[in-house]
Amino acid sequence: MTALLQVEGLSKNFGGLQVSSDITLDLKAGDRCALIGPNGAGKTTFVNLVTGVLAPSAGTIRLDGHDVTTLTAEARVRRGLIRSFQVARLFRSMTVREHLELAILERERKTFRIFASVRRMPGLADEIAGVMDTMGLTAVADTQVGMLAYGQQRLLEIALALALKPKVLILDEPAAGVPHSESHRILDALDRLPADLAVLMIEHDMDLVFRFAKRIVVLAQGRLLCSGTAQEIAADPRVRDVYLGSRAHAHH
Amino acid sequence: MSAVATNHTRHETARGRMTRIAMDGAAVPIMAAFGLAAFWLFPEDLGLMTRIAATALFVLSLDLVLGFGGIATLGQAAMFGTGAYAAGIAAVHWVSDPIALLAIGGVAGGLIALVTGALILHARGLTLLMLTIAVVQIVQEVVNKARDWTGGSDGLSGIDPAPVLGMFRFDMFGRTSYLFALAVLLVGYMVARRIVKSPFGLACRGVKEDQLRIAALGGSPKRYLVALYAIAGVFAGVAGALTAVTSGIVGLDSVSFSWSAEALVMLVLGGTGRLYGAIIGTVAFMTIHHILAATDPFHWMLFIGLFLMAIVLFAPGGITSAFERLFNRVKGGRA
Amino acid sequence: METVFGIAVDGVAYGMILFIISVGLSVTLGLMRVVNLAHGAFAMVAGYVASYAAQGLGLPYVAALVVAVLLTVVATLPMEKLLYRRIYGSANELSQVLLTIGLTFVIVACINYLFGPTLKRIPLPDALLGTVSIGPKSIPAHRAFVIGMGAATILGLWWLLERTDFGIKLRAAVDDPNMAAALGIRTERLYMATFALGTGLAALGGVLGAELLPLEPYYAIRYIVLFLAVVAVGGAGSIFGSAAAALALGIVDTAGKYLIPNFGEFFFYAALILILFRWPHGFFHGRAA
Repeated sequence: MTALLQVEGLSKNFGGLQVSSDITLDLKAGDRCALIGPNGAGKTTFVNLVTGVLAPSAGTIRLDGHDVTTLTAEARVRRGLIRSFQVARLFRSMTVREHLELAILERERKTFRIFASVRRMPGLADEIAGVMDTMGLTAVADTQVGMLAYGQQRLLEIALALALKPKVLILDEPAAGVPHSESHRILDALDRLPADLAVLMIEHDMDLVFRFAKRIVVLAQGRLLCSGTAQEIAADPRVRDVYLGSRAHAHH
Repeated sequence: MSAVATNHTRHETARGRMTRIAMDGAAVPIMAAFGLAAFWLFPEDLGLMTRIAATALFVLSLDLVLGFGGIATLGQAAMFGTGAYAAGIAAVHWVSDPIALLAIGGVAGGLIALVTGALILHARGLTLLMLTIAVVQIVQEVVNKARDWTGGSDGLSGIDPAPVLGMFRFDMFGRTSYLFALAVLLVGYMVARRIVKSPFGLACRGVKEDQLRIAALGGSPKRYLVALYAIAGVFAGVAGALTAVTSGIVGLDSVSFSWSAEALVMLVLGGTGRLYGAIIGTVAFMTIHHILAATDPFHWMLFIGLFLMAIVLFAPGGITSAFERLFNRVKGGRA
Repeated sequence: METVFGIAVDGVAYGMILFIISVGLSVTLGLMRVVNLAHGAFAMVAGYVASYAAQGLGLPYVAALVVAVLLTVVATLPMEKLLYRRIYGSANELSQVLLTIGLTFVIVACINYLFGPTLKRIPLPDALLGTVSIGPKSIPAHRAFVIGMGAATILGLWWLLERTDFGIKLRAAVDDPNMAAALGIRTERLYMATFALGTGLAALGGVLGAELLPLEPYYAIRYIVLFLAVVAVGGAGSIFGSAAAALALGIVDTAGKYLIPNFGEFFFYAALILILFRWPHGFFHGRAA
């Protein structure tokens, strides 16, 4: 089966500073892959490179067989490469419902209809009701996001990503900053992700990583250190070395 | 974006939102009622009220780009003036149907906006502001130099429109002019409201808040901004054409930087991002200006200057925001 | 018929005045992220004060200049704390535009009330009335003086920013405000000092440039677009950027006025659009405004 996401030799340097070196990674449909590494290893940079927020200095990115290395971020999204943000990045003045409306309308390419009414678009309300129900957000449907609890904001981030019907989903620390009392919702949501979706998750929380990932990739100093199953990684002395000293800071 | 432009929704309570939605729904009937009442109450001031209606449409166009798109511009007069001159020139030479003239003005304004928007909207902040000023200055220069068509600094005159819909002659008392302008304003307002509530309007609100987030949803921020700018350009062009048709003349000041700035002041006075704020701000500003018009221009400047400073320091949301808070308090809710 | 040399001299002198006035605007935009549309009004106020000091009180040129600069700085400093500080930051762009336009209007109205609408001059001392010879050519002394002062300002600012404590702190605060605060740099004092510096330079330029930018109440509104253009083209926060932009725009504008007087302004704005289109952050990649 061909990979949905093929990253080859991806590198990025800012002047003399090499932040990513020669990263190669494949994701197939149904993959549950976690990307871990100490702080500063370049994980979020990698995500920014893959999603098109940053332009690489070298390397290629292929999505479902098509070369997307030079495409804009929005073009990649339209081809099914979706991400969530490490710090919830939402439209503070819009409600939960409006966020989902926007995501679905974008997906359906209906956002240039200047004379249609959002409220009366067929099927929209039903689909949104379904998503909100799944995520447990129905109660806050018409609340402005700026007033939501942080855990609910992170849930909305994931809901948005799913509403876009991704082929490849990149989650940047989906549980970060969420108090333990609320994080079970997020874990449930992650469990229920569509089976044929390729998921790459960046995380620091090792419990979440071991629970979620079938494959783990370790990044250190901008390079791919090693990859393998959870057991292999846990036993690998190189991984322990790279985390030694930063292990104390890894859990918040 | 500054407090002036994102005044109303930072931390809106449910009651606050309901107030805003209620005022939004009531806007057109209220405007129509006030407009008609004014027609009967102030028959001597129809000329002024016609200008107010046309200007309100212009300020509405600015609210679209600034209040709903977050584009800070001092060049909206470029579209207004282009629409005015396009309609005026067409009226003098070829076309006399007033609604056709409005259409010509709208298309002209929209085209200028589309072309310049595509060129400059990748810029932000001060750079964008400068570019919008440069555009309006250039358009003014072009208009000034093309004397044969535009009359240059003498202005364009001799615009004599045919009766509206073939039935309503433009009488010398200005009655037709005013009712025509009022009707166009109301229609324009309803169209603008429709656009704002559409998928496009929703996407633009997203672009205004966070362009990166819109890109992460698959939307192209620049495309939205250019489209919004062009649509607002159509509105501004229609407003310009309306002014030309109802007053019979077009002057260079209709395509000036200071006219853009005046529109901005009126919009901020009323409150951005609500559409009806543009109307309220225009009515308030022009009425006060008319009352104080007899005074020395520098007194007016002093007044406006102090007023602007007061708005920014004490009431960044403008009249509508202050009113909404008052309304909430009266109804017993939290402000 | 002006020669190329004549145009060049006038253009450079004009550019120097633009620089001296605009560099303060550039620095305040770069540091405090505030678009100060009243900057031109400050320059104008200083010009008026100098004119009054020289003509009304009979002070000699240099004394009038010093008095004008000092008075303007002293008058505007409280505004920094009371008004401007509330609107710092690039999120407040529109508020800044409106507040500073309002302030400009107030200043224009007051100046008109106090001094009337006619043009005011600052009589030049005899030393600046003649010509100065540079090799085979001669330049009006006033132009030479302005060019000299401009060069001195560039060097002085360069020295201030690169070689003094103040300068290092200023650059650090521009580059990374949070870090600077964390390092104990007293940003409030820095803002006041920078504001004073910017206003002082505007005042200097307003007085020196009274021959080139004539003093009348609408000065503040008429020329602010020029100063903003210099900052936008040069890149906010960049001294050399402002210098390059001011000289470039000064020369383009002067050349335009002499060579194609009918289309002078058109030329200027077209050049502005082209430059900003190619370099949206300014020549020297200043902080995105």
